[in-house]
Amino acid sequence: MIEAVKILLIEPSYIIKEGLRSALGRLNLSFRIDEVDEVKENLVLTLEKFTPRIVFANHRALETKWAGNRSAAVFDEVLLVGMYNEKVTLFEMARYDEVLCIEENKQQIISSLQNILKKAGLLSNESETENLSEREREVLRFVALGLTNNEIAERLFISTFTVMTHRKNITRKLGIKTVSGLTVYAILNKIIESGEVNVF
Amino acid sequence: MLINEEMKMAEVIHLNHHLLHVINRFGIQLGYGEKTVKQLCAEHELPLPFFLEIVNTFHDPSYFPVDAMLRFDAALLIRYLQQTHAYYLEFRIPEIEQYITRLTTDESWDEAVKRLIRDFFHQYVFELTQHIKREEDRVYPYVLALAHYLETGQGEKELVESLMHYSIQEYENEHDDVESKLFDLKNIIIKYIPRPKDSRILNLILHELFELEDDLHNHSHIENMILVPIVERMEKEFFALTRNGRHD
Ligand SMILES: [Fe+2]
Ligand SMILES: [Fe+2]
Repeated sequence: MIEAVKILLIEPSYIIKEGLRSALGRLNLSFRIDEVDEVKENLVLTLEKFTPRIVFANHRALETKWAGNRSAAVFDEVLLVGMYNEKVTLFEMARYDEVLCIEENKQQIISSLQNILKKAGLLSNESETENLSEREREVLRFVALGLTNNEIAERLFISTFTVMTHRKNITRKLGIKTVSGLTVYAILNKIIESGEVNVF
Repeated sequence: MLINEEMKMAEVIHLNHHLLHVINRFGIQLGYGEKTVKQLCAEHELPLPFFLEIVNTFHDPSYFPVDAMLRFDAALLIRYLQQTHAYYLEFRIPEIEQYITRLTTDESWDEAVKRLIRDFFHQYVFELTQHIKREEDRVYPYVLALAHYLETGQGEKELVESLMHYSIQEYENEHDDVESKLFDLKNIIIKYIPRPKDSRILNLILHELFELEDDLHNHSHIENMILVPIVERMEKEFFALTRNGRHD
């Protein structure tokens, strides 16, 4: 699907910022970058504010503001990449999910970035053509008819959590996020009749 | 390459003509002659960094220098955001509307499909209009009153009054997303419309939707990431001032 990945870049150096932007631009990835020179209050607040999927952080810019504690819920959703340009101990870099050495050459940087993003499932090599499964079509039908997640769970004898998983997959496969968008899809594909539902 | 102050405005447009709409919002219209960005900003009494950062976030969608933008003047920023709203409602939406009308009067299209697209779009316009109205009626006047007070010391009583019901925190919590439906509409048209005999009119609509979505994304991002923190800072200043005032 073609939704831009939100990236937060914490780095004071202009050259490094521009360099990373240019390297990311060479990957098959659509992204948007928010950049800050440093973390002003604390890292958790900053993450909650920007809600990035990936953070690239200059290790030296971050270390005074963040001791490595990852217990806050917001850390579950982000991939933290530490950037370093000198010999730092493994112990220091262990707080990050991934590390990027900014002294590497072009090929190395690009392939490091590719590895990092692939591991996080953000770069896929093949564009899979995906059709909805039988179950997903059923869920979609109920969504389009205006049922809530709980109601769908009851009808299909599955948990609400499973319904939510199905909905996520439907949205990912179709590239349609809103209920009214899904309804239009369902009508166009004869999953429901336009008479069955008061569309808008 | 980012836009800089020494460039001639004409060169800027040759480099990226999508910026025309954005530049218009600052009150700068065509007929630039040989003038540079710097000269035109001075002529229009616009702070250069304000113009440059905003234009550059459009020019390079991956560029968004939060720290620099947090220094913007609140009243100036509000004026820009209002101009942007006006551009959506008075220009971009009516233009899409015209294409949609052309589509719906085209006999070669399936009635049901035409109706679906039209209704979906109208529902979207309704939501967008309401979103904008809320901001213009409630949020922006509040920010302007706050800025006015911090500058002149006037209007304290009214502000204290309105702060009992409202603060920017509330806006931050309720500020909803106006792009998702557009995103869906794009995908429906690109992927799921039954194949038409001639898709040129849909191409035009799509092109418009892409432009509007990018523009809205930039706009909301400025509201969330720049306007909100600026106002939070102003609220803090306001509380500090009024508290001291009362005790003295
Ligand atoms: Fe707005
Ligand atoms: Fe908004």
